[in-house]
Amino acid sequence: MRDGFHDVEWLARTRAEGDVQAWLALMPYARRIGVTAEADPDGEGLLFRLDPREENVGNVLLPALHGGVVAAFMETAATLDLMLAAREPRLPRIVDLSIDYLRTARVVPTLARCTLLREGRRLGNVQVAAWQEREGVPIATARLHFVLGDPSAR
Amino acid sequence: MPPDHTPSAADWRRALARFVAVIPHTRALGLEVLEATPEGVTLRLPWHDDLLGDAPRGLVHGGVLTMLLDTACGSAVLPALPAPEVCPTLDLRVDHYRPGVAGQAIIAEARVVRVTASVVFTEGTLRQQAGPLARGIGNFVRLGPRNTPPGFAEALFAEAPIDAPPFEESDHA
Repeated sequence: MRDGFHDVEWLARTRAEGDVQAWLALMPYARRIGVTAEADPDGEGLLFRLDPREENVGNVLLPALHGGVVAAFMETAATLDLMLAAREPRLPRIVDLSIDYLRTARVVPTLARCTLLREGRRLGNVQVAAWQEREGVPIATARLHFVLGDPSAR
Repeated sequence: MPPDHTPSAADWRRALARFVAVIPHTRALGLEVLEATPEGVTLRLPWHDDLLGDAPRGLVHGGVLTMLLDTACGSAVLPALPAPEVCPTLDLRVDHYRPGVAGQAIIAEARVVRVTASVVFTEGTLRQQAGPLARGIGNFVRLGPRNTPPGFAEALFAEAPIDAPPFEESDHA
């Protein structure tokens, strides 16, 4: 079977290596909006970054990033974070998302960090905070539910 | 638009086509406005491989659906107000019924449920040929005429092509 999220061996190997780039490579929309991830210098998990691209702008008057692009960034972050933080290789499938827009997202780099609040056998709950100038001044917070799929069941 | 003139459905469709064409992100994705009235809007996102979130399985990125619902609900706000105001998204909730699949356009329908002095409550749905994909509930803040740039309504209904800032053609494949 081709490399992919449903390939159990591939998923387990990339996860053991912490190869989040390999996962992002299979997510064209995340790459288009400019999502990258690196090991969190201040913690154990991942720190996510959204590139301030002209095409991510949603309001030319301010200007500001498209709120939907910020949400897509945060959903990507939550998905990747969950895949790495889960107890075993899992394929998250989004059930719902709720996002609060706290401040205007300027066209500058946006960072995000995730917290896995609950990992049950079937469902996971992830909280995401996104900021620009300082982590203490979030531009948006989100929470998401995922079904935790078994990658071998297909 | 003169204040005594009520825009027709055709006026609103043109105005919102300008609105989504002036937003760099939706312009780059080629988002189309099929219908627009004070009762609701219908948008169409043509297929593009960059919309995928799971390329091997051919599934749409969930974030595309959130972006589309934000845009559709935000577009529905404009015709539902007494006069166009800038209304940023306060919050958005999206329920995913099933993943979108590659190769098919996504249709978005959105409508305003209630307008108050400070907030506009909206809801929207997304579908592909096979059926419904997602539902969204978005609340938008009314900034009021004082915080809406002068000429916002005139720009929406202008006859001339939109003078949008230049952007580079997408090449992220």
